[in-house]
Amino acid sequence: MMTETDKTAARRAPVKNPKRPAPRRGRTTDLMVRWSFMFPAVLLLVTLLAYPIFYTIDISFSRFDIATFGAAEFVGWDNYREVIGDYRFWESLKVTMIYLAFALPLQVVLGFGIAYLINVEWAGRGVIRALFIIPMVVAPVVAGGMWRMILDPLWGIMNYWLGLIGVGPMDWFGDPGLAMASIIIIDTWRWTPFIVLIATAALLALPKDVFEAARIDGANWWSTLWSVAVPLLVPVIAATFVIRWLGAVKMFDIVLAATYGGPGKATNVINLFIYEEAFRSLRFAESAAMAVIVLVLTMVLTGLFLRASRKLEELF
Amino acid sequence: MLAGMAGSLVLAAMPLAPALAQEGLGTAEEPVEVRIIANEAFANSWQTLLVPEFNKKFPNVKVTFDGVPYTELLAKMMLDATSPQPEYDILLVDDPWVPQLAEIGALADLKGEKVAALTDSDYDWDDFNAAPLAAGDWKGTQYAVPVRSNVLLRFYNRSLYKAAGLPEPTPEQTWGEFFADAEKLVRDTNGDGKADVWAVDTYFVREPLTPTIWQSILNANGGSLLDGSGAPAFANEIGAKSLETHKRLLDYAPPGALGHGFSDSLQAFRQGLVANLFNWGSVYKSTAVDPKSTTLTVDEVGIQVLPVGDAHAGTHRGIWIAGISSKTEKLEASWAFLQWLTSKQGESVNASLAGSFPARKSTLTGTPAEPWLGPVYQALQHAYETAASGEMWRIRSPKSDAAQQVLADEIARGLAGQATAEEALATAAEKIAKVLD
Repeated sequence: MMTETDKTAARRAPVKNPKRPAPRRGRTTDLMVRWSFMFPAVLLLVTLLAYPIFYTIDISFSRFDIATFGAAEFVGWDNYREVIGDYRFWESLKVTMIYLAFALPLQVVLGFGIAYLINVEWAGRGVIRALFIIPMVVAPVVAGGMWRMILDPLWGIMNYWLGLIGVGPMDWFGDPGLAMASIIIIDTWRWTPFIVLIATAALLALPKDVFEAARIDGANWWSTLWSVAVPLLVPVIAATFVIRWLGAVKMFDIVLAATYGGPGKATNVINLFIYEEAFRSLRFAESAAMAVIVLVLTMVLTGLFLRASRKLEELF
Repeated sequence: MLAGMAGSLVLAAMPLAPALAQEGLGTAEEPVEVRIIANEAFANSWQTLLVPEFNKKFPNVKVTFDGVPYTELLAKMMLDATSPQPEYDILLVDDPWVPQLAEIGALADLKGEKVAALTDSDYDWDDFNAAPLAAGDWKGTQYAVPVRSNVLLRFYNRSLYKAAGLPEPTPEQTWGEFFADAEKLVRDTNGDGKADVWAVDTYFVREPLTPTIWQSILNANGGSLLDGSGAPAFANEIGAKSLETHKRLLDYAPPGALGHGFSDSLQAFRQGLVANLFNWGSVYKSTAVDPKSTTLTVDEVGIQVLPVGDAHAGTHRGIWIAGISSKTEKLEASWAFLQWLTSKQGESVNASLAGSFPARKSTLTGTPAEPWLGPVYQALQHAYETAASGEMWRIRSPKSDAAQQVLADEIARGLAGQATAEEALATAAEKIAKVLD
């Protein structure tokens, strides 16, 4: 005779159904169903993302046959040796590093600074935020061309304005240092608004009670910024830096439109060099090798930045 | 039985009829379409201006131009030409690209049996000037014909020479005389203590056409890019002296000229800010004739070859030539268009409607469509002869673009003072030797 407990246990026990498939078979079917849902996405990823990368790697180890527009025979590390022995490659990397070292911190500091300043409630704030989007949606080539006109020493308005305060005339595209400054100015004009938008959203999401507590404790504007807002924003600042780094490292279109990499080689960033070697010199194999080196370098540095940003998050 | 056989043959041939029509010059019902890949800078205007003229003679050949930005044109052309069924029947290519396209078998031999059979008896090959025609030649085979010829020429502003108290320059003027005048041509016209007109502007920016200025000086000084064996021959005293001359032009150029190329230098000249411009001759109309694009007039703008070096005057060839795809199924229609465009009649139409420079001696010596073309054609003929005698063109090789990019890099370094002329040219020579190897 079954007790009440036995009856409950029996009710809870799975009912054995002779027609039900074995658990192993069930798992297989389940897996197949899952994969069938994932397949289109995987196929798209492999086709659009992985295939071009593998193709680039493939031709970087081959002689490029212009007649078939594809990889010919395997040449091992020859293309990499060729690239590493080319001083122009190292010069371009150096130029890229100079650009990144100035442009990224400037944009992050300006972006968060502007966001902090416009974070108070005032009429027309929405319009100003909308206007901030304009530089981002202007095509880089148009931005480069437009700034080329603004900064032109002969016809540009910038030298006229500077002349009114007794500065200049400045040879924006003829002096190597100023040419790099021009590129940084144009890039900062384009991308600071992006950071302002992220920073504004981050500031609005900060807990208000902490700021109120700081105000009650008598913290002034600077202390509130330095001791409250910045520590709370560190994870967002770090993430923004990484996102912007990934965008900035690819930059070449502004240079192409504004300075063509000159004067001399002063603004010849690595991606412009790769582009020129591929599509002007038709040296696709060497360009592929350069692209792979840059890809690896970017991945390593991105990994380091992510690690550093996690450390910063822990620290604050 | 015979009637039955004939009927079968007719039936069997029926599906072929449209195909045969496609291979010919088309019919009103089934026109043939010829597609052309060209530089977007003039593809649209040719479509609008020249195709209707061609269709007056060949109404059943539909010609379509596809314009592609210059920087992408060669790569796109190569990609299309290497596909099993290319989209384009005619390729409109820049001067140095014929060897690259010929090497991959992209172009048909225009003097070969097939095309010769379709060529009109009055199509006069010998009437072409040697320099522009040679742009379409590779290893003795004529793959393309000149359709839009060009050469580097010197434009000068007569008013600025007069205001500086200088006589007009002549085609015999040497570089030494040019620089002596240049000193006087940089002037302050409004008395504010700053120069506001300058002596010269041209290509200085880092781009592949900038070395053509240095090369025209090099050639004028008797130097050459390659020696007889195809090895670089410019990293020497003549090369360095020529690069120093190019760099010296900056001393008499407007501020920011180191960043100037085609458009900026042209703009400066058109606004009357510089007395001399070294640029492509084809810009004459928009620089001296068309009031919509220039402040100058025909009477103000002189045109001639670049100053004389140690050997002769300077210039540089830059011809747009057109060839037929070796895989086209519309050979007859394609050649009909190309033959018309490069015939004496077509060339005159092209010159008068689209402003293209002709390559034929008969067009250059004949009565020009407009009076202003007279002195321009005279300068052009002189430049063709100078270019032919001094072999003033870019490196002829399937790797010419790679070599030109190396030159662009190193000439830019030399002009910007980031390397001495000797260093820049030695690096360029070493790299070009490797590229051409």
